Amino acid sequence: MDRLLADTAERMFRDRCDKPLLDAAERGAFPESLWSVFSEAGLHLVGSDGSGTDLADLFGLLQVAGRHAVPLALPETLLANRLLGDAGAGLATIATDGVAPWGRRADIVVRAETGAVVTGFGHAPAANLAGEPRDRIVGGSERAARVEVAGLEELLALSRVALMSGALSRVLELAIGYATERRQFGRPLSKFQAIQHNLAVLAGETAAAQRAADGAIGALHSDRFLDQVAAAKSRVGEAAGVAAEIAHQVHGAMGFTHEHTLHHFTRRLWAWRDEHGAESVWQARLGARIAGGGADALWEFITSADR
Amino acid sequence: MTFQGLAFDPVRLPEAAERLRGEVRAFVAEHMPANYLPNSDFNEGHSPEFTRALGQRGWIGMTWPAQYGGAERSFFERYVVTEELLAAGAPVSAHWIADRQSGPLLLRYGSEAQRARFLPGIARGETFFSIGMSEPDSGSDLASVSTRAEAVQGGWVVNGTKVWTTDAHRNHYMVTLVRTQPPGDNRHAGLSQLVVDLQGEGVTVRPIRNIAGGEDFNEVVFEDCFVAEEDVIGTPGNGWEQVTSELSYERSGPERFLSAFRLFVEFVRAAGPDPDRATAALIGRLASHVMTLRKMSVSVAGMLQEGKSPAVEAALVKQLGNDFEKLVPELLRLAPPAVAAGLAASALRRSFEQTLLHSPSFTIRGGTREILRGVIARGLGLR
Repeated sequence: MDRLLADTAERMFRDRCDKPLLDAAERGAFPESLWSVFSEAGLHLVGSDGSGTDLADLFGLLQVAGRHAVPLALPETLLANRLLGDAGAGLATIATDGVAPWGRRADIVVRAETGAVVTGFGHAPAANLAGEPRDRIVGGSERAARVEVAGLEELLALSRVALMSGALSRVLELAIGYATERRQFGRPLSKFQAIQHNLAVLAGETAAAQRAADGAIGALHSDRFLDQVAAAKSRVGEAAGVAAEIAHQVHGAMGFTHEHTLHHFTRRLWAWRDEHGAESVWQARLGARIAGGGADALWEFITSADR
Repeated sequence: MTFQGLAFDPVRLPEAAERLRGEVRAFVAEHMPANYLPNSDFNEGHSPEFTRALGQRGWIGMTWPAQYGGAERSFFERYVVTEELLAAGAPVSAHWIADRQSGPLLLRYGSEAQRARFLPGIARGETFFSIGMSEPDSGSDLASVSTRAEAVQGGWVVNGTKVWTTDAHRNHYMVTLVRTQPPGDNRHAGLSQLVVDLQGEGVTVRPIRNIAGGEDFNEVVFEDCFVAEEDVIGTPGNGWEQVTSELSYERSGPERFLSAFRLFVEFVRAAGPDPDRATAALIGRLASHVMTLRKMSVSVAGMLQEGKSPAVEAALVKQLGNDFEKLVPELLRLAPPAVAAGLAASALRRSFEQTLLHSPSFTIRGGTREILRGVIARGLGLR
């Protein structure tokens, strides 16, 4: 990902996505000023044709967004803008099975299954377990022209991979920071071997998730993209569960409070690992492809995926 | 040291390395011993014939200078050869330690005479090395070794006992960590590495039977064993720095996550081309781990190629890889095709039993899980 873009996004999200903003978004208030700054900087067009950025930049931006639990529908908005090619028409999102992130605030919805472009719709509000709006789209009128949605399912799954990898890096930092500051029995938690070992496992899962995510993003234009996304969604989803468990254990009761910021990341990890196919969904797809090729082609299947 | 984030930059194997892949597969098909059950554990399968053929092909000591019998290839090319051999389940234990560890150690710290004496034989696949580190009272606490070498005219006299020494009964030499000075305030000082001739006088090798019924590892007893001055590696007293310097090579390679790979292969065979969803998901889950671990391991190879010493990243690969290797038999034993027809099939059953019985060693050899977690914790700035 372009360094300047990553730095710009990192600074913007770090400065603005503080706990009050995340809490307000969870109560259903769209972060208007964040969205203004974001779109005025042109970041809402990252990944779109003519923006000077590509799909890899889009997913790199999502990794940064995951680090900060950015309370926008960034995957859906960025991918919809790329598909629509007319971002000036308003805030866009994508509905999967009729449910769209921030559907309540969106002007345009692309239906993931058909490519139908819908405006003038109503919505039934709902949210995932992280409190991120996941609204059911009701009614509305369909434009005459549909957009091409082949491969969108894989891109949406990869978006959760990217978000999770970013969130995992943040969860690791939070856990290390807390263990270093918090003292019990006269010394920091980080000096207890049991804590050190848990954090080592958390670091391993975070590193695996990061590498799996980077690998799948790097395969965007490969004919093995499907396999890479399947492996990444599965592996990163597994990492999310292990990491959230350890991070909460290290934080003790403090991390179980709403007042602490940890849950903005751990609840998202729990939500994102299930969105656009839980681990088992992608494992079954990947496994079926491997079984079809046969045992003696297993190693070639694995090595050729990275070639 | 404060936490700086984890560095596993994406690395793609270069063309030259990928081109070797087909050659290695053809070689294995031609040279695999008859009636041999393929086994991806680098410690299993000792075949001097296979190793010699591999050496003739130029695939041992691949990265070493030509003057010592090396092929001056990149770490990536060596990576492809080693992972192909393991994935095929080829018998590699005869040369594995010399190629991975003893040779590079001699190349870095050995004298010119030692390099000329040992490296060409290793590269030809004719000279085999063991590692003499652990002792009855010194396991993870390696600096506490008590095997001692006393200076005498022209060399050293060694007394003490090493254990868990893989293939000491059939290898030629052992790089042996000894105390040349009594322990002082700095417990890492006063250690030295010697090349000991395992067939020499004053060396007794006794097999130790493991829980799988094998006798690959040994107890090696030194009784007034004379080691000549020229067989000290590097500087006397510098042994600790020398043994720890090779850990990035030892801990990040494909042997740290592929030990159970042949079992995985046999399971896919038993599952057939159109398995039920649960079986397919299990295959996919295991594949997602192998695919990710391999990416991480190749990233570390890239750091090694750049001359870095990624000790923490290597420890992370080994930790994740070993846990995965242990997970494979645990998950597969409950899977439908294993329970029904599969486990009755002899290749799958034998592979399963081999892997499960050897699995305790995965998280012990080359640095226990607990030691690795300590290394990682230090890298995270916690200790």
